[in-house]
Amino acid sequence: MERKEIEDKVKEFLIDDLEIEEEKIVPEAKLKDDLGIDSLDYVDIVVIVEKKFGFKIKPEEMANVVTLRQFCDYIESKVGNK
Amino acid sequence: MKYALVTGASRGIGRAVSLALAQQGYTIVMNYHSNHEAARQVAQEIEAAGGKCELCPFDVSNPEEVEAAVAKWTEAHPDDYISVLVNNAGVRHDNLMIFMQNDEWHSVLNTTLNGFFYLTRRLLKDMLTHRGGRVINMASLSGLKGLPGQTNYSAAKAALIGATKALAQEVAPRKVTVNAVAPGFVETDMTKDLDENQLKETIPMKRFGKPEEVADLVAFLASDKAAYITGQVISINGGLYT
Repeated sequence: MERKEIEDKVKEFLIDDLEIEEEKIVPEAKLKDDLGIDSLDYVDIVVIVEKKFGFKIKPEEMANVVTLRQFCDYIESKVGNK
Repeated sequence: MKYALVTGASRGIGRAVSLALAQQGYTIVMNYHSNHEAARQVAQEIEAAGGKCELCPFDVSNPEEVEAAVAKWTEAHPDDYISVLVNNAGVRHDNLMIFMQNDEWHSVLNTTLNGFFYLTRRLLKDMLTHRGGRVINMASLSGLKGLPGQTNYSAAKAALIGATKALAQEVAPRKVTVNAVAPGFVETDMTKDLDENQLKETIPMKRFGKPEEVADLVAFLASDKAAYITGQVISINGGLYT
């Protein structure tokens, strides 16, 4: 999967499912502090990522993911151009 | 299709709750441990009244059985989820604490408390992602007041009440409510060994409750009308303890 496609899909579910304002969705945005993603939102994210990207997020692998860019990096590491 | 899972559904309060929720239009996923005959009878009653149900036997205190049963259900119902969970399964092994055996202590906690944990944890994810659900835990007067001879049962039900209050706050933002119902003395198999004539004199209403009365309360908590009630323990005991 191309990076652009990953970013588009992530942006789509942040807007549609987590109701985050589009203008806040920039690569440097911090998931917790800037986008307001809380621990309950992670439940949604785990389910959505599994549905859209076909893998299960492991909580320990998300431990160092702070920004949206890092989140997309993480997804890319799992599904990018394989 | 709306689904409600009721544990310990083959007898007593669980049976009455299953019938009441079926009348509200839920398809009942009837959990029970081993009493197939009793479960089939309840299923027939539900169907005779125009309701729907599925039998789902497993031991709530066994995490592998819980996981396997829920996985099987989910596989068979890929587009649905269980939106109402009634944690009703419980056992009593009364004894004075000085005589209480380890297995009497553990079996009561395993079924009531660990069973709640294993099953609720598993079903909660779908309730959260669907932005709605009801968890209703069957507590007891014993968990509020404490009853002599029931240190195990009182401990398990009190713990369930604590978990109810904590979980309610965790999941409230996703429109999932978590409440507990605390019945006093109710006419079921579980109380048939008690001296009803003597005990009812201690109850302001002068009678034991009926399973159907508890079921009506559970059905209300499961309904849309109870959307703003969460983290509560609602007693239904004829005024015995307030």
